[in-house]
Order: sequence, then structure tokens, then C-alpha cells
Amino acid sequence: MFLKVKLPWNVVIPAESLDTKGLVLQKSIIIRLLDEFAAKKATKDLGYLLAVTTLDHIGEGKVRQQSGDVLFPVVFSGITFKIFRGEILEGVVHKVLKHGVFLKCGPIENAYLSCIKMPGYSYTVGENPVFRSEKQPTIEKDVVVRVIVIGTKWLEAEREFQALVSLDGDYLGPLGPES
Amino acid sequence: MSGEEEENAAELKIGDEFLKAKCLMNCEVALILERKYDQLQQMSDDPMNQVSQVFEKSLQYVKRFSRYKNPDAVRQVREILSRYQLAEFELCVLGNLCPETVEEAIAMVPSIRTKGRAHDDEAIEKMLNDLSLIKKFE
Repeated sequence: MFLKVKLPWNVVIPAESLDTKGLVLQKSIIIRLLDEFAAKKATKDLGYLLAVTTLDHIGEGKVRQQSGDVLFPVVFSGITFKIFRGEILEGVVHKVLKHGVFLKCGPIENAYLSCIKMPGYSYTVGENPVFRSEKQPTIEKDVVVRVIVIGTKWLEAEREFQALVSLDGDYLGPLGPES
Repeated sequence: MSGEEEENAAELKIGDEFLKAKCLMNCEVALILERKYDQLQQMSDDPMNQVSQVFEKSLQYVKRFSRYKNPDAVRQVREILSRYQLAEFELCVLGNLCPETVEEAIAMVPSIRTKGRAHDDEAIEKMLNDLSLIKKFE
């Protein structure tokens, strides 16, 4: 789910970038914030950080004793993407393996749908391996699948989320190839 | 959030901070990100250099998974769904998946049928009809 969040952040402006003109300073704060925001990629609590929409407040700058850099506490609004257990969403298959498939759901590249969680489907070997079922459309690369999230995991080192998804439920399953 | 084990969006247990947070439908995110992307394009020759991977992947995703493209339609979808006392999260799941039948809607958002909430089949049916009308006239 995409979320609209309001976040506090500390922006440090190096002494050499400081300028007496207010507008220039504001611009360096914004540029710095955007850079740091993009570099951070994701946080455990808020999920993936997509975009800053507005800078709502710039607080009093505090000079750092040693370096002369100035720290500005700011508040901004932005968009994030977080997945929740129990959430139903759609993803696109991008890798088919013997034991299951990987789906892309927004910034999440590895939502794993195990063959155990695909009732009625069986793996078919081939140049382009697929999962076939007698009742439902085939699951193969580039097919859109509606799934339910059964587990999520935050990987601190990679700053990534992993998700386990399932087809176990009503109205879940492939919706046809990506157009 | 009290204990990760308890999280279950199907019962609307997603933590207080997220329950109150404003959620966005894919089509709303698509409008915002496309506008951002255009702004960046004006500032630089190669906007793809300016955007993060997270931004790029998300933009691709929401473009593909937006049921409504027209900004007026997007606004109307939120307006119509807001009339039905839904939580932000429920509203966006419905707007994203556009269920066609009452049964499907309940399967997608089981929490709308929990006790004490005034969503009978008739109300849900009307909501889905309103949504499909927007799609028809988009």
C-alpha cells in the first residue's frame, strides 16, 4: 500500500554551502534532503521511500561546534510503499523457478510465491518454465497475479523488504498476461 | 505497533500509526509521480539519472496497475468511496483492485464485514455500481 507520510528529518548543510541569501539556503536544504531521501531507500517502519512531495517546515539551524556545519530540523511530506500481512495486491511474475515464482510489486522485486501456496498448479519444465493448472490460467513470466501477503521480512543490510505471498483464498490467481 | 505477529490487514490490524495514515490508491500515486517526473525532466536532460530506483520501479508499477487514468475520475473514485465510512486502507484496496461483485469485494477487504459496521450487501453493491460508472464514463 502506498502511504502519504509526514516525516521529521535532520539536514546537515556543510559550512561552505552556507549563504546569506535565504533562497539559496532553502534550495541547498531541499537538494540535500532529496539526496539523502533517495540514498536511504527504505526504512523498517515506513517501507520504501518514493518521493518527497512538499517541504512543510524548516526549523532553526544549529551550528555544529567542530565543523561549522549547520543542522536544520525539517518536516516534509512524502510517499512511501509498505506491504502488510493480509494485504491483497497484484504483481507481475518475473522469474519462474522449480519451487515457485518471484513477483514484482512496486519497489519490491522479490515477492515469493511458493508452489506450496499455489494449489492446483504444477511445474512444467521447458525453455520457458511455467506453472499449469487445470482450472486456472497458466502462471508464467509477465503474467499478472493477484495474491495475498502472508509474511514480510525487513533485511537491514540490503535495506530491502521480502514478502511471502499466497494464492490460497477466493478471487486470487493470475489475471492474464501483462498488457 | 504492538507485536509484529498480530499484523493482519484482512482484519484491519495494521498498527495505529498506519490506520490513521493517509493511504494512496495506485492511480493517485501515478498522477503524483508522473508530475514529479515531468518536473525533473524540465530540470535535466536525462531525468532517469535523477530518480532513484525505488521511484522508477514504483512509477512503472502504478502506471500498469492504475484502473483510472483521468485525474477527474481519480478524484471522483476517492470522493465516492469516502461516502462509505471506510478506513483509508480499505478505500485504497477497493480503488486498486476494483472488485466486480459483492462477494469479490468482501474477499478483497474482509474487514468491511466485521461486526458493528453498517455494510450490508446492498450498500456494497451500490458502491461497486458507482465505481463502475466512473470507469464507464472516463
